[in-house]
Amino acid sequence: MYNLEKSIADWRQQMHAAGIQTPVPLVELEAHLRDDIDQQVRSGMTEPAAFEAAVQKLGQVQTVQAEFEKVEGAKATIQWWFLEVTLVLITTVFPLCMCRTVLHFKPGYLTDLTPSQKTSSLAAIAVFALLAWSGRLGCKLFPVICAKRTRDIVTALAVAPVLLWWLIFLIIIVPRHDFDMAQFTMTFLWGFISPAGAMLGLVWGMEAAARKRSAVSVP
Amino acid sequence: MIRKELVAASAEPMILALLDQGESYGYAIIQEIKARSGGKLQWTDGMLYPVLHRLEQRGLIKARWGESESGRKRKYYSLKKDGKQAMQTHHEQWSLVHAVLSSLRKEQHV
Repeated sequence: MYNLEKSIADWRQQMHAAGIQTPVPLVELEAHLRDDIDQQVRSGMTEPAAFEAAVQKLGQVQTVQAEFEKVEGAKATIQWWFLEVTLVLITTVFPLCMCRTVLHFKPGYLTDLTPSQKTSSLAAIAVFALLAWSGRLGCKLFPVICAKRTRDIVTALAVAPVLLWWLIFLIIIVPRHDFDMAQFTMTFLWGFISPAGAMLGLVWGMEAAARKRSAVSVP
Repeated sequence: MIRKELVAASAEPMILALLDQGESYGYAIIQEIKARSGGKLQWTDGMLYPVLHRLEQRGLIKARWGESESGRKRKYYSLKKDGKQAMQTHHEQWSLVHAVLSSLRKEQHV
């Protein structure tokens, strides 16, 4: 006894194996396949023959997948450039602004930054920028994670401890100390900003490594 | 049968023109083109979807998930404002090609 659902499930497996793994194209192609089978059966064809004809009309899976890859590739390029520009701005413009603030620190009613506090604050800003840029420049040392979902999980795992640390820093550590403005600025830069550099470096390096691999594999 | 290069080049303007008449989905688009060309313009069915996704990505068409009469999931596409503009441009270009070819043909017969 012919089982159409089993044939479609097998076809889905073949498509999956050939590389059409994102759900949207597969659901859409399956809907098309079923529409075509229904149409052929209504016009008098048997289910097995209708299934075979519909699969054949869809075309070679490798060719279809190659076309989908071109579309996804263009999308990934736009996302990558957006990420790259954003991170470059964050890790250059922001540290420069912070340096300017530290060097011209004049709160008026509070104590000024001492030379050692200024040096320490500038070092904290430099650590932030260096950690972030070391990820980008040292991306060859990062493992290549091709699956976007896995990279998203790693990003979440990198962001979560930093967020937790920020909460501890702001809710527990800062209120327990009677910082003046200068001390708070220095502590904030070391405790709040520098760890963000490590997080950005990790994410940037991982994305750059994945991007380099995909750029090499596309002819 | 029409050459595959021409089939590929005409896919985008035809999809845009067809969606200008109203929302549609992959299978219906293919059937409509086949019917209108008397079966002479045949697309490989699976190749339509990357084209639709590319048009969607370029912001020329938009998509929504709906249900077919039998309750199956189906993705419907419709034209966006930029798509209308692109369709107009395509129309002008194809009309120009047609006009040049027609005038050359007329001259040959004179």
